[in-house]
Amino acid sequence: MQTSLSTPPWRYRRQLRGAAFPLTLLLLWWAAYATGWTESPLLVPPQKVVETFWRLAAGGELWHALGASLLRDLAGLAIGSMAGVAAGIVLGLSRWSRLLVGPTLHTVKQISLFAWIPLIMVWFGLGETSKIVFVSLAVFFPLLLNTFEGVGSVAPEFVEVARVFAFTRRQLIVRVVIPAALPSIFTGFQLALIYSWLATLGAEYMLTSGPGIGNLLTDGRENFWMDQVLLGVVIVGVIGFIFSALAGLLARRLLRWRGPQANRS
Amino acid sequence: MAHAATLQIQQLSKQFDVGGTRLPVLENINLDVRPGEFVSIVGASGCGKSTLLRLVIGLDTGYDGAILLDGKRIAGTGLERGIVFQEHRLLPWLTVRENIALGLVNAGVSEREQREAIREHIVLVQLEGFEDAYPYQLSGGMSQRVAIARALVNRPEVLLLDEPLGALDALTRAHLQQELQRIWLREGITMILVTHDVEEAVFLGDRVVVMQPRPGRIKEILDVPLAHPRERGSAEFAAVKDAVLHSLLGEEARQAA
Amino acid sequence: MAPPTIALDRDSVAARRAAAPPRRPATAPVPVAIPVPIRSTARRQRGRLLAFALAWPVPLALLAIWWLGAQRGWISQQTLPPPGMVWDTFVNVLESGELQANLQVSLVRVLNGFALGAGTGLLLGVAMGLSNTVKEYLYPTFKIIAYVPLLGWLPLLIMVFGIGETLKFVLIAKASFVPVVMNTYLGIGNVPAKYLELGRIYRFNHVQLLRSIVFPAALPSIWSGIRYGLTHSWLILVVVELLASSEGLGFMMANGQQLFQLDLVLVAVGVVGAVGFALDRLLELVETRLLRWRRSAF
Repeated sequence: MQTSLSTPPWRYRRQLRGAAFPLTLLLLWWAAYATGWTESPLLVPPQKVVETFWRLAAGGELWHALGASLLRDLAGLAIGSMAGVAAGIVLGLSRWSRLLVGPTLHTVKQISLFAWIPLIMVWFGLGETSKIVFVSLAVFFPLLLNTFEGVGSVAPEFVEVARVFAFTRRQLIVRVVIPAALPSIFTGFQLALIYSWLATLGAEYMLTSGPGIGNLLTDGRENFWMDQVLLGVVIVGVIGFIFSALAGLLARRLLRWRGPQANRS
Repeated sequence: MAHAATLQIQQLSKQFDVGGTRLPVLENINLDVRPGEFVSIVGASGCGKSTLLRLVIGLDTGYDGAILLDGKRIAGTGLERGIVFQEHRLLPWLTVRENIALGLVNAGVSEREQREAIREHIVLVQLEGFEDAYPYQLSGGMSQRVAIARALVNRPEVLLLDEPLGALDALTRAHLQQELQRIWLREGITMILVTHDVEEAVFLGDRVVVMQPRPGRIKEILDVPLAHPRERGSAEFAAVKDAVLHSLLGEEARQAA
Repeated sequence: MAPPTIALDRDSVAARRAAAPPRRPATAPVPVAIPVPIRSTARRQRGRLLAFALAWPVPLALLAIWWLGAQRGWISQQTLPPPGMVWDTFVNVLESGELQANLQVSLVRVLNGFALGAGTGLLLGVAMGLSNTVKEYLYPTFKIIAYVPLLGWLPLLIMVFGIGETLKFVLIAKASFVPVVMNTYLGIGNVPAKYLELGRIYRFNHVQLLRSIVFPAALPSIWSGIRYGLTHSWLILVVVELLASSEGLGFMMANGQQLFQLDLVLVAVGVVGAVGFALDRLLELVETRLLRWRRSAF
């Protein structure tokens, strides 16, 4: 039902309604603290979270931790994506590879990601390498599978066009297969972004050496500093949001040939 | 260097393997196409006319008999034979210009000549102004015109057209039939058109090949001794069209048509 | 106005064509060996048998290398225990009932949490999908929660709930909640307008509209969300048990790792993988009935 009123309250109705719920929660939270609803040290006022933010930001610890985490994330993302896309193309193109290696890969993919951690810890130690290997692994599988599916579902009609114009195999792959598979690959990449951030945090929980947002959170938990933990949660969420937004922008640029219908988030 | 080749199809037969039994699709097809000629092939569904084109373009293999271009057997696909499919099959991630350029990827010509060729063919199909449009922005008729330009850009000896106007509405179809005729008259390329539309076949072709199904055979080949431009309403046109329909459908059906 | 007469002057056309040579290389390029899709049924059946047979060489080869490596001492026992040892450990924990006990604990946790998360997720997804008002109120909040990955919530939840069953329950519920909501909401939103119009033409009332058009059309997406939800639940279970538990498969893993018994770790990993696979396969079998078969170009 459309209202054609465009006077101020109605034009921003959607945004107001959206903000209503979180604002109400925020208000309740502050009220709970102000009225001393509970004695528990877990209840910290909203202001304290902001104070902690300024403290850590000014002191540089926040940026140090954030930088370390992001570095691991991006390193793992880069390694895992390249490996995943390459493997996906090889598998998608060759029926033999698919039959030989496919089932094994599908089975290995099923192994819960975090189950690899003990093995990785034994093989790669307790330092940075392990963390980056873990993040790469988390990124590898979604990209592999989506690339594989994208390549495998290239329309035979397009392949015939390439044959009619006497394309070499290399030309076929570069000019037809990869662009046709790009939407799928991109979906895999978006998934990989989410997983990479998840894996970075998980790695930091498990392998606690070195700085990182995960360590910030763990410290806060161990010391019962609710404000730091909440700050951590917010930061983790904000980074997640930024990643999504960047991916969306990239998608709109790379996939603009799909037309307006496809670029809905 | 031959500039408009002769296409000879000699005793062509093909069978498909379906669930263990061999299904004959084409049987003893014999056809000689003269350089620069426009041949229309009509027939009901299942008469193998599309398969015939696919064999000539080299997308399907495994046949008995011979397909000769200028006396030499064809081997797989090649730039000397072009095809326009029923679906435009434009690569959606490429602009109109880039799609046409696909025909020149393996042509071995210089950059400058490529650009020249593309520009020339955009003008040929009357799509100036749309060089940088993406396929999703084009109508069906426009897309098919791009497909035609793409097929012609490397000057093949033979252009095959597999029901190219079948997916378009009647008005666009009529318009594009005119366009095809204009392009053919200008370029002089040998063209072989497969269609189920008898009027289209008579409008465009120098000869009309009538095929019948199960198995696909040539029933007869009719000449179209009409001058260009062809008038759809003229008595001579109607007479040829009648003759084709008669051949295609038999006496009773023609009365009803 | 009569259109201009265009005569086919074959000579001038021929001359023009001679002047403009064809654009293609002098030597024909080597035809590309691109496989043509299998069409006949006989070949497809042979194909299925072949596919099954070909699935085994690689894993068997890996197994052989593993066994050989351990035998010859190329790989130390610390790095990777020999397959025989892993098998013995597996039999041990199976016979002692330790495996079943831990497996049961893990499964119960997952199924409980999943039931809650998927259930509430479906409700919210349907509510948001069907009612624009609900969506406007709740979607932004949901999105905010969704942007924080599961593991981001973990320390907070540990502080609030401790490391008991409630923690696992809440976390697993959240793990399945998000994908189910997203996929349900999107699935309902993506029901093509033309189907809805059809319902309006036939004067369907709300219930009929939902039952006959909206839910069937949204089902593939909803089911996809449910599958993701289960996968996520299983995933987060392992993490939580690794970090904060004294029983369950994840705990077995952590225990084995701390005791430097990699064979125990491998057994736990294997079982986790197998169960996760079985659960997903079960859901996939249901999904296959909903998904059309697509033909492949390769």
